[in-house]
Amino acid sequence: MGALAIKNVTKRFGDTHILKGIDIHIDAGQFLILVGPSGCGKSTLMNIIAGLEAPTSGEVQIGERVVNDVAPKDRDIAMVFQSYALYPTMNVRQNIAFGMETRGVPRKEQEETITRVSKMLQIDHLLDRKPGQLSGGQRQRVAMGRALARNPTLFLFDEPLSNLDAKLRVEMRTEIKQLHHRLKTTIVYVTHDQIEAMTLGDRIAVMKDGVIQQFGSPEEIYERPANLFVAGFIGSPSMNFIDCHLAEQGGDVGISLQSEGGVRFVPLLDGRRFADRLGQKVILGVRPEQIEVAEEGEPALECKVHLTEPTGPDTMIFTQINGKEVIARVHPRAAGRPGDSMRLKLDVRKVVLFDPQTEARLN
Amino acid sequence: MTQFNGPAQYGFAERWLPRLVLAPSFLLTLVFVYGFIAWNGYLSFTASRLLPNYEWVGLAQYETLFANERAWVAVKNLFIFGGLFIGGGMAMGILLAVFLDQKIRGEGVLRTLYLYPMALSFIVTGTAWKWMLNPGLGLEKLVHDWGFTSFTFDWLVNPDMSIYTVVIAGIWQSSGFVMALFLAGLRGIDDSIIKAAQIDGASLPRIYWRIVLPALRPVFFSTLMILAHIAIKSFDLVMALTGGGPGFSSDVPATFMYASAFTRGQMGVGAASAMMMLATVAAIVVPYLYSELRGSRNA
Ligand SMILES: Nc1ncnc2c1ncn2[C@@H]1O[C@H](COP(=O)(O)OP(=O)(O)OP(=O)(O)O)[C@@H](O)[C@H]1O
Ligand SMILES: [Mg+2]
Repeated sequence: MGALAIKNVTKRFGDTHILKGIDIHIDAGQFLILVGPSGCGKSTLMNIIAGLEAPTSGEVQIGERVVNDVAPKDRDIAMVFQSYALYPTMNVRQNIAFGMETRGVPRKEQEETITRVSKMLQIDHLLDRKPGQLSGGQRQRVAMGRALARNPTLFLFDEPLSNLDAKLRVEMRTEIKQLHHRLKTTIVYVTHDQIEAMTLGDRIAVMKDGVIQQFGSPEEIYERPANLFVAGFIGSPSMNFIDCHLAEQGGDVGISLQSEGGVRFVPLLDGRRFADRLGQKVILGVRPEQIEVAEEGEPALECKVHLTEPTGPDTMIFTQINGKEVIARVHPRAAGRPGDSMRLKLDVRKVVLFDPQTEARLN
Repeated sequence: MTQFNGPAQYGFAERWLPRLVLAPSFLLTLVFVYGFIAWNGYLSFTASRLLPNYEWVGLAQYETLFANERAWVAVKNLFIFGGLFIGGGMAMGILLAVFLDQKIRGEGVLRTLYLYPMALSFIVTGTAWKWMLNPGLGLEKLVHDWGFTSFTFDWLVNPDMSIYTVVIAGIWQSSGFVMALFLAGLRGIDDSIIKAAQIDGASLPRIYWRIVLPALRPVFFSTLMILAHIAIKSFDLVMALTGGGPGFSSDVPATFMYASAFTRGQMGVGAASAMMMLATVAAIVVPYLYSELRGSRNA
């Protein structure tokens, strides 16, 4: 069953086009992530879904119902705002109760809901405090509690974790994930943190300049990015982009890579497909973990280590291929020291190619 | 200790210049404000009539004051005027601010327009409203000229109603100012709080009543203080608009004090009434200052 459908939605403020034809469909119970750089229109899209802003054109459907002309309160949604938006003069209990009070929920039921929600979010000892007397993480929970006091068909979370410190952020991320497993309510979640996007989402929509660049599962987005922007935006450290030319050698189509240790021809998997592009420039995309240390006797590229960054489980090796700085993620024991030479190879099954003009993926 | 006190060769000028610069205004304030308050307090215990004299009479002037019917009219008028002026000005100002907050076009122009009365002195306001409310010149004549000859609006010359004309003019003058204060407060409120309340299903009046206005409590109290002290010391508006009349029906304590001390040769009674006004102002301001200072220490 469809839970949320956004059909060709556009939004203009005066002369500036903020959203340029957004199309998204998700099923009930799915966790949709909207991710993209600052100012790309994520919050605007959220406000349109919530009904706080009207789309310039297009249609929003929640459940089976077109909601373009439905007021926010009648859309059966709950929203957590980036700035928490707690009512400053009310204590936590009143904050959570306000919506129920407005909807005329009987007092006894209100009490039960407050107890249930505050237990779940471990804020039951804070009920009599004002928002000003809470820490950032506690406020975040209250904002979440206010949304959970309702049992909506759709949750909207607009960067709920962006104001938290790194540790709390990781904790809350896990809590949100558990919450979704338990409640199985459809969630739309805005973030510009790509780790949150990868860990939480069933579906990810990567946005840029008011256009959806790619919409798919986290695996698709990570392994088969639609274009250079998506490839560079998702993943940390970012994907390496190496300029190279398509060439033919011994009947194989491939690319030649030059490092400080020499030149090597790397045949591409299924390279015949690119026969018509022979001699043309392409951009090779390879993630840091797709560059491996070669076994003894295996064909490899001699690379000089410029710099190493140990992260604990892995060590990042900074080197140079075709004049571009390239990062490889290797096991700490296999890592050389700066100045050493290392024998590296690419995982050809996973590399991607991009057209330098259109920036779209080729393979 | 010394190592925290900055360079030892801290110059003579640096140390004394601030005090030197402040000294004249400090002295002037000391003499002309607090000195004269003290002098006035002393006069209120003397038999001063047309001119000050220093014959001690104890509380006799206060007894005369409390026995004076005109003084009680002034006090009653102060309560009527103060209550309606503060309440009405506040209500009008908040209403204007809420309307202006709805992102309407031409907000800048309207805001300036509403704020203009505050730029006028009370004398100008009073004179302008005297003409407008004068039955032979202003509103009443205008409506008569339109053909509604049965219309009467004679509050200005009606002893029972004259104080209410002062209220009207006062509200007209102050509501723009109240609006500006509240508008600034409203603009400081996070937009998403209102959005959250919309999703929670609250109507616009309910959003303002339950969420926005309670958050403006500090603005509310500051405005109350400002309007209250304007009300208590209001003098020029009454002088220009009604002159305290007809008779003494629109007298307020300040005009009463002025009349006693300077036109009717009862300087002792005037001084006593001035002391009563001071006590009233202090009764309002001191608790306010106390709570403010305590508040800032906690912050
Ligand atoms: N009311 C408005 N009038 C004009 N432009 C607006 C308005 N609201 C937003 N914008 C513009 O729309 C663009 C998208 O804003 P939006 O808040 O949706 O970005 P975002 O993707 O949520 O960014 P962030 O990650 O920083 O929150 C921005 O360039 C912003 O300046
Ligand atoms: Mg945003």
